Amino acid sequence: MVKYNFKEIKVVPSGKELVDIILSRTQRQTPTVVHKGSRTKIIREFYMHKVKFTGENFKKKLSDIIDEFPRLEAINPFYSDLLHVLYNKDHFKLALAQVNKARNRISNIATDYIRLLKYGDSLYRCKCLKIAALGRMCTVIKGIGPSLAYLEHVRQHMARLPSIDPNMRTILICGCPNVGKSSFMNKITRADVEEQPYAFTTKSLFVGHTDYNCLRYQVIDTPGILDRPFEDRNIIEMCSITALAHLRSAVLFFLDVSGSCGYSIAQQAALFHSIKSLFLNKPLMIVCNKIDLQPMHALSEEDKRLVDEMKAEAQKTLSIGGDQNGEQQVLFTMSTLTNEGVSTAKNTACERILGHRVELKMKSKKINDCLNRFHVAMPKTRDAKERPVCIPPQVLEQRAKAQEGEQEKEKRKLEKDLENENGGAGVYSASLKKHYILASDEWKDDIIPEIIDGHNVADFMDHDILERVMELEREEGMRLAGVAGDESEINGDDMMPEEREALNAIRKRKKALIQEHRIKKSTAESRPVVPRKFDKDRQFTTQRMGRQLSGLGLDPSKAIERARSRSVSRIGRKRERSVAVDGFGDDSMEIDNEGKGSYKKLRLRSVSRSRSRSRASIEEVVPGKGFKDKKQKVKAIKLGKKSVKKRNKDARKGEADRVILNMMPKHLFSGKRGIGKTSRR
Amino acid sequence: MRLEKCWFCSSTIYPGHGIQFVRNDAKIFRFCRSKCHKNFKMKRNPRKVKWTKAYRRLHGKDMTQDSTFEFERKRNRPQRYDRINTEKVLQAIPKISKVKATRQKDHITKRLSVGRVNRRTEDRRELEQSISLVKAPSVLKEDATLTLPKQKVTVSYAQTENTPMEE
Repeated sequence: MVKYNFKEIKVVPSGKELVDIILSRTQRQTPTVVHKGSRTKIIREFYMHKVKFTGENFKKKLSDIIDEFPRLEAINPFYSDLLHVLYNKDHFKLALAQVNKARNRISNIATDYIRLLKYGDSLYRCKCLKIAALGRMCTVIKGIGPSLAYLEHVRQHMARLPSIDPNMRTILICGCPNVGKSSFMNKITRADVEEQPYAFTTKSLFVGHTDYNCLRYQVIDTPGILDRPFEDRNIIEMCSITALAHLRSAVLFFLDVSGSCGYSIAQQAALFHSIKSLFLNKPLMIVCNKIDLQPMHALSEEDKRLVDEMKAEAQKTLSIGGDQNGEQQVLFTMSTLTNEGVSTAKNTACERILGHRVELKMKSKKINDCLNRFHVAMPKTRDAKERPVCIPPQVLEQRAKAQEGEQEKEKRKLEKDLENENGGAGVYSASLKKHYILASDEWKDDIIPEIIDGHNVADFMDHDILERVMELEREEGMRLAGVAGDESEINGDDMMPEEREALNAIRKRKKALIQEHRIKKSTAESRPVVPRKFDKDRQFTTQRMGRQLSGLGLDPSKAIERARSRSVSRIGRKRERSVAVDGFGDDSMEIDNEGKGSYKKLRLRSVSRSRSRSRASIEEVVPGKGFKDKKQKVKAIKLGKKSVKKRNKDARKGEADRVILNMMPKHLFSGKRGIGKTSRR
Repeated sequence: MRLEKCWFCSSTIYPGHGIQFVRNDAKIFRFCRSKCHKNFKMKRNPRKVKWTKAYRRLHGKDMTQDSTFEFERKRNRPQRYDRINTEKVLQAIPKISKVKATRQKDHITKRLSVGRVNRRTEDRRELEQSISLVKAPSVLKEDATLTLPKQKVTVSYAQTENTPMEE
């Protein structure tokens, strides 16, 4: 819908562009290849499709153009008039008509050529027909090229038109050129209209919005109007005239009382009277601007008279209802430079237009429908109880105070003020603890302990904690007394140190036995079982036996004697003279025999000791043992020794290791590895 | 500032240590170190992991029920600061911890004393049974005490003159 949003009209392509677009689209979106040899039907269809496609596209595009542009009859007369003023209605209509004609022509062409193509017999003929069809369509478009350009131009301009809502509350500003309309506009709205000292700065309508009493008002700034006959007016002036004519708004006629715009008050008054027909049924206000240059009371008599005339005119437009302060409602004096009177003018204008609109609405038929629907509900009184207004006493006090001493506004000292006093934001830090409510004010600055010795203090908080702790300590004391008694019981049964020693010795002995046993067990297979007398390690010596026996607490001397007397070295010795058998030296023998374990005998004569306490050397051949001579025995002994010799596993360099024949054997220093790097050799 | 307990091993978590894990049901798990955190992630049950307090309490290794535990209880209601009370509490806390510590120690000692008694009887029995390994039975007959036999040492000393004692 063309709801005054001319910005949404699609771009109108130029003739050439349009042709290019459609033809390239045809090329892309229709099949491109056809063979001479395929059936005629296929060829015909191929070309017919192309022609149809092109025709449709052209039609669509042109239809779009026609539809997008607003129909001047269908839109608000203000806009239609404005468009007429700007673009000339006839020209506009003509352009659109041309486009329409072109569209029809193109569709005709398309249908004609499709009909012809139905009877095309060869590929060449069909192709020629297609070319002709498309060519004619393009020529048509070329023909409307200027119209399309014009429409594009119009569209661009329309898009930039201010979006004026004809149905909204509007205030129109009009007057001679350079009187200060745009500056007033800038003052009351956020529109940034150009204000310059030369005339005709504003060349078109400008819209701004302003608020009054929570309602939005449109403010329209117009270009200046000159006092000319209607027919001689140019487009710019016609804009403002159109606006005046069609928009139902409040009109502010600006008057430059100082004459600095270049027009005297008389000229302006003349203008006023010439266009006053346009002010019918519109709330009119006369605004005298630039009073800083020319105050009102300093006006000449004639000027004053002229102004009064205008005022009288304006007062005629005063609505029936608004007859309060007639002067205030119609004539305003202000200066946009000093902002004097600007807001009063605006406010009054707003009020007047609103009043005017409400009146109209009330008079129209539609309001009756609405009125029926309005209903103000009043709550029914429940009982006769009086319920007066309730105002808290503090508020009443404050009101009374405000009335009495208006200057004494008690300002509470804010924290911010305190901060500023004490050195500003970086220097002073507000005390957050100031307003703490505690049992005693001294405690406000205390640092509250939270953690002690790995406990949270807050977990222990209790008002009677000390009493409980005392009780606990009492309990503990009692308990400890009981515990002490138990301990003494347990500790009484301990072993004496000598017994402990004995126990340790026992354990050690046991361990040793176990270890020996383990060794025996593990070496049982490989250990030779040698009878004790061939004791190579000298394990079974009498000294050792003596030690062990004395360790057990026994006296070993007798045992040692016995062992020695039975030893190998004694083999072959004659039985020594025992006392009872020989009978020599009884007395002396007897004496000695008293000592129990003493086998030492006192001899009457000395006997040469051939081998006292010595064993035969190993190599000595003892008859009956299996060796024929010494040599054999020696050899046998050597062999035996060699077999038991433990292999040296020390891995120390031996005789065989002194010489390394090959320092770098090839197999270690060459060759690639099957897997992995060869960075180490 | 609060000292929390590690969910896994129940040790105190000091500020700046450990990790907190918030589950989708808004339950918060606090861990004192990555060891506990990783154990948790492995879904291990602290009641089965020997070195945690949970295990020890469950298996009676540590003291479980005692009146000293009632002193320390998390209260969710904020309390107004009271200097007098706070002072009292600060005095009380070391006493309570001391009592608690002694009681815990005694609990463990009591627990271990059974073993001591057993060991003692065993030692005695062993001594009685195996004394023959270090003491010959004949010696034992003479000297019935369960100690090592007295060693007879022959001392040979040269004949010394009777030197007058030096005064």
